[in-house]
Amino acid sequence: MMILLTIFMMGLGSYAMRAVFILLLSNRSFPPSALKALEYVGPAVMAALVMTMLLSPEGGSAPRVNEWAGLVTAAVVALVTRNHIYVLTLAMAVYWGVGYLV
Amino acid sequence: MLSDPNSSEPNYVRRGFLDALILVIPAIPFALVFGLAVRESGVAIWLGWSSSPIMFSGAAQITLITLLGEGASIAAAATAALVVGARHLFYSFSMAPVMQRQPSWFRWFAPYMLVDQVFALCVGKQDLPAADFRRYYLAAGMTFWIFWMTFTALGLFVGPVLPPGLDITFATPVLFMGLLVTTIDSWQKAAVAVFAMGVTFLLADMPSRSGLLVAALAGLVLGLVLERFRR
Repeated sequence: MMILLTIFMMGLGSYAMRAVFILLLSNRSFPPSALKALEYVGPAVMAALVMTMLLSPEGGSAPRVNEWAGLVTAAVVALVTRNHIYVLTLAMAVYWGVGYLV
Repeated sequence: MLSDPNSSEPNYVRRGFLDALILVIPAIPFALVFGLAVRESGVAIWLGWSSSPIMFSGAAQITLITLLGEGASIAAAATAALVVGARHLFYSFSMAPVMQRQPSWFRWFAPYMLVDQVFALCVGKQDLPAADFRRYYLAAGMTFWIFWMTFTALGLFVGPVLPPGLDITFATPVLFMGLLVTTIDSWQKAAVAVFAMGVTFLLADMPSRSGLLVAALAGLVLGLVLERFRR
């Protein structure tokens, strides 16, 4: 029973964290400077998330060589082609290929 | 953005569905691992699975159930799971302007589906007309929701059935990297992204992945500083 209650509280917490700014700021007009600042939130948090996915949850371990290679490939292919099918296939090919070699 | 950009048919329901589908596939092992974590935790399986519809937050669910199973106090497990989920505060902040143009029902409903993948797909779609953005967001969100409910349930019974040699989970950071790069349209944003990655890397030892939060904040601050060089 305590666990069900905990899960419910965590559900409320999850929703609250996702909703808070969307709902609180729904009627505020953003000054242009604030809109400019908001543009950096996406790149900052996405970049941090990508790196987090390569680190073990326990901390400590650095990304391996094939992970670095795959990631750099993904960035370059996305920059050049803007096509995510190419990103997926080429980066995964490099990731698997380098992983096989080292 | 994953689907054919040259398609003449601007059907954003279909695009949202297809783009989400590409992100669903690498997330399958993660969903199955969650099912396994529930089984190993000793928490009743229906109870563990109920966190899927109630929380709909993969990493936070795994953290909560695993720590409860390891005998951590409820307060400790809940705190760690909240820290893991705290990056959603950034998503909410980032989505606030585009949500202003949406009807009230959508502003209340959309946050429930604001998972990593939906944010990653939609953050670059903010210039779409309001109705198209909504269709895209809902289609991507629903696709991911149905997948997560189904495969976390499946994981309770089958465990990780995928062969261990088939390492497809790396496709998620790969696709996120691609989506990140396509949202970068200035050297300032590129610098912010590289900086945020570096800080996350240096803070890898912080508990419950809280280094991500510090890094995202640090990146935002750098962005504000660099913004001054634009004028």
